[in-house]
Amino acid sequence: MDIANLIRIKSRAGQLVLQKEIFQELIEQKALKSDYREQKGKFEAILKKTIEENGDLKELPDKDGLPRYYSSQFMSETYVRILLRKEENPLMLIAEIVRENSAAYPRPIPLDTFKNSPFELTQEEILACLQKMSDQKDYQDISQTTTSAGAVFLYSNIHLDPGYASMLAEWFDVGQFNNP
Amino acid sequence: MAKFGGWAGTVLHVDLSTGRIWAEDTVEKYKDYLGGTGIGYKIMWEEVLAGTKPYDPNNRIIFAVGPLAGTGAPCNGRTAITTLWPTCWPVPLVASGHMGGQFAAKLKYAGYDAVVIKGRADRPVWLSIVDKHVEIQDARHLWGKGIRWTTTAISQVMGPEAVVAAIGQAGESLVPMSVVMNSVSHSAGGIGSVMGSKNLKAIGVVGTGSVRIAGNKDEWEKLIKYHLSLLGANNQHVVPSSPQPWAEFYAPSSRWKGSKGRAWGAAPHPIETGTCHPHDLNRIAYRTNNAAFFMGDIAWKYTVKGNGCTSCPIRCHTMIKVPSAAAKYGIPEVGQNTCGGLNFGRSFFKSFPDGPRGMTNMEACMVGMYMSDDYGIWCNYSQLQRDFQKLYYSGTIKSKLGEKEFKSYSWDKYEKGDPSFLFELVPRIALKEGELGTILGLGTGYLLERWSIPEKEWKKSQELNYWKFGHPKHHASEEAGQCGVIINTQYNRDPQCHSHVNFIRNGLPLEIQKRLAAEIWGSPDAVDGVGAYTPMNIGKAKMAKWSLLRKELHDSLSLCNWMGPWVASPLKERGYRGDDSIESMLYSLATGDKKSRQELDQVAERIFLLHRALTIRDMDTKEMRTQHDTIPEWVYDDPSHKAVYTKGTTHLDRDDVKLAMDMYYEEMAWDKKTGAPTSFAYQKAGLKKVADELTKKGLLP
Repeated sequence: MDIANLIRIKSRAGQLVLQKEIFQELIEQKALKSDYREQKGKFEAILKKTIEENGDLKELPDKDGLPRYYSSQFMSETYVRILLRKEENPLMLIAEIVRENSAAYPRPIPLDTFKNSPFELTQEEILACLQKMSDQKDYQDISQTTTSAGAVFLYSNIHLDPGYASMLAEWFDVGQFNNP
Repeated sequence: MAKFGGWAGTVLHVDLSTGRIWAEDTVEKYKDYLGGTGIGYKIMWEEVLAGTKPYDPNNRIIFAVGPLAGTGAPCNGRTAITTLWPTCWPVPLVASGHMGGQFAAKLKYAGYDAVVIKGRADRPVWLSIVDKHVEIQDARHLWGKGIRWTTTAISQVMGPEAVVAAIGQAGESLVPMSVVMNSVSHSAGGIGSVMGSKNLKAIGVVGTGSVRIAGNKDEWEKLIKYHLSLLGANNQHVVPSSPQPWAEFYAPSSRWKGSKGRAWGAAPHPIETGTCHPHDLNRIAYRTNNAAFFMGDIAWKYTVKGNGCTSCPIRCHTMIKVPSAAAKYGIPEVGQNTCGGLNFGRSFFKSFPDGPRGMTNMEACMVGMYMSDDYGIWCNYSQLQRDFQKLYYSGTIKSKLGEKEFKSYSWDKYEKGDPSFLFELVPRIALKEGELGTILGLGTGYLLERWSIPEKEWKKSQELNYWKFGHPKHHASEEAGQCGVIINTQYNRDPQCHSHVNFIRNGLPLEIQKRLAAEIWGSPDAVDGVGAYTPMNIGKAKMAKWSLLRKELHDSLSLCNWMGPWVASPLKERGYRGDDSIESMLYSLATGDKKSRQELDQVAERIFLLHRALTIRDMDTKEMRTQHDTIPEWVYDDPSHKAVYTKGTTHLDRDDVKLAMDMYYEEMAWDKKTGAPTSFAYQKAGLKKVADELTKKGLLP
């Protein structure tokens, strides 16, 4: 498997590819020997050439500054942002997703969204995050509304006023199912 | 006929009173009306006199399909059934119901574009169609049986390749709220009792032929793949419900439920739906799971697979296997349906002991499907259940029933959300047993009349979703503002129009929706965010006209208006554009009759005008604006008293809605004062004879 293909397959599966994974792949293909320090120059040259030749391959630094890769053909910027935020503070992950949804679509989103892939937080983790947010000034715009069916929706009051958010949440949780 | 592809070439006529069966050439007489509702309205105009009642032998039932039925075009499984509508109140008027399944394709393969039924048999019969061999068969042994038994019995006679469209006991009993159903779960509401009035239990079809495509085979296959590439999930939701690697956008309210980690848990070996990349055309069927959409994530465990219509990859009839329903209620453990059919049972109840998306809810769905899809009861877009809840919780049922009948129901079970209550209620509706069973089967308008409840009581609150003429709204102002209002004024039942709502609910951000709206309807302001409505503008009038014409076009071509039009797509590289010309490309290549998008829309307008003319003729008034295109009070009301056109309210301004109707009539080139089409409008659409007849009756503005 060539490097570009490896990155594309991983992207399709929703994964960023670490540089060391690519190195390991090249060793398995016997394109490189296992000593990284000895092979570093050759490895970087192969990598650079691959990126230059494939416009869809993108490089991202991780929090330690090490590069990771993905294919924009198979992974959207939206998804990349979610993966990167997952590595950071979960409060920021939730807040930014809520803000994006409130601003762009616009809509509140069900709290349960964060239990599903790719967020995969537990109910307890989500509630703990929301509790912490309520005490921190950076998250004072993150608000909640509860529908008549008991579902909690989150929104940013910068982008949605409470009445509008409440009406939309009721529509998404109850109204649309009564009007299929 | 050989000149054209698409059409089978023959319209089959059956007179059940005389036993006469004859055929006429489709293309010669109906080509300018395409098929489906086009054929239906034309026959109703020419053969059924004003003043005819639904159960008169002279009423027709027209099962008609279009030139795309039975081809490889995606989503072509719809059969339009046109007749005088028995639940249309206070005067029955023309309307159509639509069933999916396999009936449409089989009818074409047997060589027919339509089956027109008139008369009344002197005993219960069923119609056997095996290619050119058509026979009226004795159905006395089937009378009194449910749809499943009937389907099985006829299939045993005709063979496993047969498709059977049958009525249940409700249709036999002349319950207006009844359906005809084929292929286990695909029903058309409102038709059952009209078949029952003709003593027609079922139509069985075996077709061994094929549909000829006039155009080049390679071009046709390329076009099919192109169309497939534009498909989203059910209702043309073009973004997934949760973030997926490939997706730039997502919408938790999307019916595109498939994703990594979500599997059909009750398949023989659980099947993961996966990320369903939009370019992977062989995995479109994994996108939609309507059981999970309506019942919540709990449904994944019980999902067997998606089922659906001929040549449709969407598979919106999700099959679920719920052993606890079988154990508790003695019903089959497998059921399938979508939307109103899937929700038939649960919709009677206000709540369930384990919440709105727990096991009891699912079991109520199972019991409801089992009973309604066998007795053949119609929900009228769940108006039946809304009426029932309202009548019960307002104390009306108690006050109207005698004590003995009231006590014969286990109301404690009902209030607790016990699905076994349905075993007490549903058969009584189907068999017209007792006052309650009888009134619920009448349809809302006749129900209100019988119990002396003013219709205006039902028009007050959006909670009931009631619109007019005994029927509910179907995607109106609550989510589509003025465009939704206009559409809901136009038909004699709920409009069943999804052209507008499939766009509004597609899941794309508002900014992209507005960009697409500007391209399609000439203005980004044709669409608003739900609950963030703005005053009327010409873009909204154009969107309403386009929506209605596309609905008629789909109903006449046999394309599914629950999926189309396809003017948005999941494809980022297309800027999420779909293609507004897909219908004309399919029609032109299939039939060989080349028509542009605009030309085909003109045909749709002709068909829609014929529906309008039938309505005017049968109502015997041209005052459509005040007598027909009426709007319930709840459209103008907001219980929270928010100002109109502020965010968070869906109510509209009365004067602005008047303007909306003005702009719509102008867009249609109809008379604004009466809302009736002008002589010019009819003549422009090639309906001079219709205009002449209406002139004679004084029904032109």
